[in-house]
Amino acid sequence: MKSRIFLSAILLPLFACTCLANKTHHCSAASPVTFGILPFVSAEQLVIRFTPLVNYLSHHLNVEVRIETAPSFIEFSRRTTEDKRYDILFTAPHFYPLAHKSGYRLIASVDSAGMRAVFVVSKKSHIQNINDLKGKRLATVDTNSLAALLVRKYLTEHDINPDTDVNIIATPTHNASLLSAYHGVTDASALMQPPYEAASEQVKNSMRILAKTDRAPHIPISVGDKISSACATQIRELLLAMSSTTEGKQVLKHNRFSGFRLSRAEEYEKFNALIFRP
Amino acid sequence: MTKAIPLFQSLRCRLIVSVVIIEIVMLSILVWNNISIIQTTHTDRLHDTASSMIQQIANTSGTYMVAVDYATLEDYLKNMSHYSELLYLAIFDRDDKLVISLGPYPENKRPRADTSPAQTDDDIFDISQDIQIAGQPMGKVAIGFSLSLMQDAIKKSRIRGMSIAAIEIILTVLVTVVIGLGLTRRLGLLSNAAAQVEAGNYSITVPTEIGDEVGKTAIAFNRMVAEVSNRTRLLQQEKSHSTKLLKENRQLIHYSLQIQELERKHLARELHDELGQCLTAIQADAELIRDLSNKDPRITTSATAIMEVSSRVYDVVHSMMHRLRPGVLDNLGLVEALKDEIKAWETRNIETDCSFTTDGDLSQLGEHTNITLYRIVQECLTNISKHANAKHVSISLIKHHQKLLLEVQDNGNGFISREYNKGLGLIGMRERVESLNGSLQLNSKPGEGLSICISVPLSG
Repeated sequence: MKSRIFLSAILLPLFACTCLANKTHHCSAASPVTFGILPFVSAEQLVIRFTPLVNYLSHHLNVEVRIETAPSFIEFSRRTTEDKRYDILFTAPHFYPLAHKSGYRLIASVDSAGMRAVFVVSKKSHIQNINDLKGKRLATVDTNSLAALLVRKYLTEHDINPDTDVNIIATPTHNASLLSAYHGVTDASALMQPPYEAASEQVKNSMRILAKTDRAPHIPISVGDKISSACATQIRELLLAMSSTTEGKQVLKHNRFSGFRLSRAEEYEKFNALIFRP
Repeated sequence: MTKAIPLFQSLRCRLIVSVVIIEIVMLSILVWNNISIIQTTHTDRLHDTASSMIQQIANTSGTYMVAVDYATLEDYLKNMSHYSELLYLAIFDRDDKLVISLGPYPENKRPRADTSPAQTDDDIFDISQDIQIAGQPMGKVAIGFSLSLMQDAIKKSRIRGMSIAAIEIILTVLVTVVIGLGLTRRLGLLSNAAAQVEAGNYSITVPTEIGDEVGKTAIAFNRMVAEVSNRTRLLQQEKSHSTKLLKENRQLIHYSLQIQELERKHLARELHDELGQCLTAIQADAELIRDLSNKDPRITTSATAIMEVSSRVYDVVHSMMHRLRPGVLDNLGLVEALKDEIKAWETRNIETDCSFTTDGDLSQLGEHTNITLYRIVQECLTNISKHANAKHVSISLIKHHQKLLLEVQDNGNGFISREYNKGLGLIGMRERVESLNGSLQLNSKPGEGLSICISVPLSG
């Protein structure tokens, strides 16, 4: 009996200190949970798009969930890997391997066939196939984006050196990339397919798809080490259950997601070959 | 001679002062209104600037706040911090932690937000606003504006406005005074001319070179002065003529009265000397005839009748003599003659009591004065017995210094001018007094009797 009391006296303060040191998040904790989202669209659009999802999580986890992003992909990645700033991470597939190495644990991914980039040109353009892009101006988003990686990979596979054979012009967003080709500022545009599909009919009717890259796994959702296992499980279950509830469906519809599914870290290992190093 | 009009009662002065006062009041209201507008304008401008700036910062900062890009946000805010009135600019994150501070933000004592620059508890206009994106709170921005520049601007505007107003008031006063004096100068000329006409100078004329209302008035004034001058001259001529006639008439009256008194005196003496002697002789003869009649009844009766008739005639003659010229006046003087007259009057008017008092030496007044005063008293008593219905009459004759004062007072019906004016008694009395260079005064009210006061100067 005495030994139990002694053990408790030693272990309880140690446990408490550990908890305080790690600031481990139990979903009912008072401090807010940071939902880090890759700045793949403008910050305002990001907030508009993800606010319902964040509110959904906040409501069901009974904790304040805050949207946060970064000025750039590189800064977002740095804050992810070095600062471990985000409790819940919504990042691009090719960034996940680095996050995983920093301690983030995959809990789900967007339930979709996978993301791919498309090459589009004006319907009036003389460019008929991918090889016609040589010597032309190709607009695409940040070189560190998934789209840029898929495009470079696709060009390389078709014997086009992306650094010398085409003039790649970086644009701040996918939409900007598409509009540059639409207005004739560039000869072609390479962007992820979902933003292209979401473009206005007027723009889409003026463009045609020249080529499509291979699909990449969809966006992973992971949690940092401040999130307890129990809370991570709770979050995962909430995400997975969204497609089966009315409320969840409305949120998913707003986000243009069909739902979330279980996924494994191995699905994203293929990006190690193309690993992004900030 | 008309007295000079006091400055503040003159039309010109009141007109100019009224215009100046109105001008000063209106300008003061204008200046007060302008200062109020300036203050409101500056306050509204600062309020609008602050609202616009904080709204712009709140709208812009959201994207930086959600991206936790404070460095870029600070660079952006530094561009705005050059605004001269901006004192501090502070950004707080969602945990209300100060993340950006430009300027001396009092972190230890955070200021409360003010609603208006006009309602600050210090000289800093503090405002704050939440930073949101799509309704999601991202933090807060707080801005403080120094009011010193605004207050300096208001002060300068106020001083400038008041200086302009002061100059305007001075110029207005000067211009109003000059124009007012110019406009009212001819009124002043008219006023002065009227004063001179009132003083008797009818040769004055007013300039009529301008045909406005004042000019027309001046023309009418000149005509009126000419007419008044003409009529005054005619009146003076008539008055002079009337005065001369009156003087001559009076001399004539006085002379007539003297002649009348002389004739009366002469007639009384003739009656006394001639008719009196004859009647005495008739009476003596009748008495002798009666004594010598030897008791013949017819002779005795006739002689007695003659004696009675002659005695009655003598009484009548004596009475006429007394009325024409009372002998006692010449023999015993005025006082005794008046006493005798009053006594006789009382005998005829037994219901009226008459008192007579004298004072001073009245024995050396002279014949003309004596007979004049005697006739006046006689006329007064006659009037009282005819009109007054008085119970008491008092007569006093006093010699006081070089003046003779005669007062006849009764308690009768009082003076009724119409009845007196019916006869010539009052006129006669007045003329008799005038002949002595004296004055006559009547004091009376209906039912309260009549008092006639006569004052006669005594020469020597």
